[in-house]
Amino acid sequence: MTRTEPQDVETPINLYEEQEEGRQSPFDRKARDGFLPIQTNWFDRVFISVIIWVALSLFWLRFMEPAGLPLTISNVVAVLVGVYIVWKG
Amino acid sequence: MQSNRLGWILLAPTLVILFFFGVVPFFYVLWLSFHQWNPFALDPAVVYNGADNFRALVFDNGFLASLGVTIAFVFFAVLTELIVGYLLAQAFMKEFPGKAVFRTIHTLPLIMAPIIVGSIWKLMTTPSIGIIPSLLASWFGFDLNIGTSAVAAFTVTVIMDVWHWTPLVTLTLIAALVSLPADPFEQAQIDGANKRQIFWHITLPMIAPALLATVFIRLMDALRTVDEVLMLTGGGPGSATRYLGVHIFKEVFPKTNYGYGSAVSIIVLYLTIVACWLLYVALIAPRNKKA
Repeated sequence: MTRTEPQDVETPINLYEEQEEGRQSPFDRKARDGFLPIQTNWFDRVFISVIIWVALSLFWLRFMEPAGLPLTISNVVAVLVGVYIVWKG
Repeated sequence: MQSNRLGWILLAPTLVILFFFGVVPFFYVLWLSFHQWNPFALDPAVVYNGADNFRALVFDNGFLASLGVTIAFVFFAVLTELIVGYLLAQAFMKEFPGKAVFRTIHTLPLIMAPIIVGSIWKLMTTPSIGIIPSLLASWFGFDLNIGTSAVAAFTVTVIMDVWHWTPLVTLTLIAALVSLPADPFEQAQIDGANKRQIFWHITLPMIAPALLATVFIRLMDALRTVDEVLMLTGGGPGSATRYLGVHIFKEVFPKTNYGYGSAVSIIVLYLTIVACWLLYVALIAPRNKKA
């Protein structure tokens, strides 16, 4: 006879937790662990990508553009990094 | 489904207000930051100039200097407010004669408009007529002149901000301390924990969410300080107290450089969001993950 794990039993408490879960926003429900040090949902990952994009653009304008490298390169790099973060982060 | 619809109906007025007073101005400023616009020039047309405003911004020594002093101002002001606010909150948790009167007096700066606070401190620190330079000179022989000394001006703006906003920190921390359960403290005392151990291992972790919310509020407020400082020092001497808010004010209004002012505003918003997010990630996110 196999022992039933407590979480397998459908108690009123478990049902209540499921209902509570159902009330969570779609952002919270899809939170996951990726290569980023924190658990993130897709909105977090887009947010982090935008933050990095702005920081990279400002860095590029200050240090790289005077050396002759156009801002477009920074934008392309930022988009690639952003896609990677949203996909794997 | 019906409760969902009711929820949206109840939220609708807030969302509409937020859209018109929060979202639309944000996108307008964002749009403006990529344009050159001087509405009082001979040609008041709005001209698209790509990233030129941001290009100018990263090489603008005035902006970079004001960014440096703003970070220093925010660090010293918010840290002092947290420490003093916590000590005052702990004091208000105890009974002492005149507590109600002192609590009321201590809350008064909070209800003052920043421009009034700036005026009061201007009157108190003006060398010829102010009480503070007069007392410092007679007691310690110290010559306080915020018109000529950069360090003095910076210090006085920090003290003024601490004086103005510490009551907010105290009130939120009193609310947090009052709501703490007594059991953990009693058990810690039974186990022989001293006051420092109780503070680090029980009080601080339990009031951390309230503390963090207070830090967020103060951080956002301190980063956009304008009126108090403008009234007290006008951003001087030199650029010693030209904080980002003051810098934006001087770019937008006296110089009527709306596009560049918008670009600086966007960067200040960006820095505020990043600072708050980093604080959240460092302090709250690991706890949630552990849970």
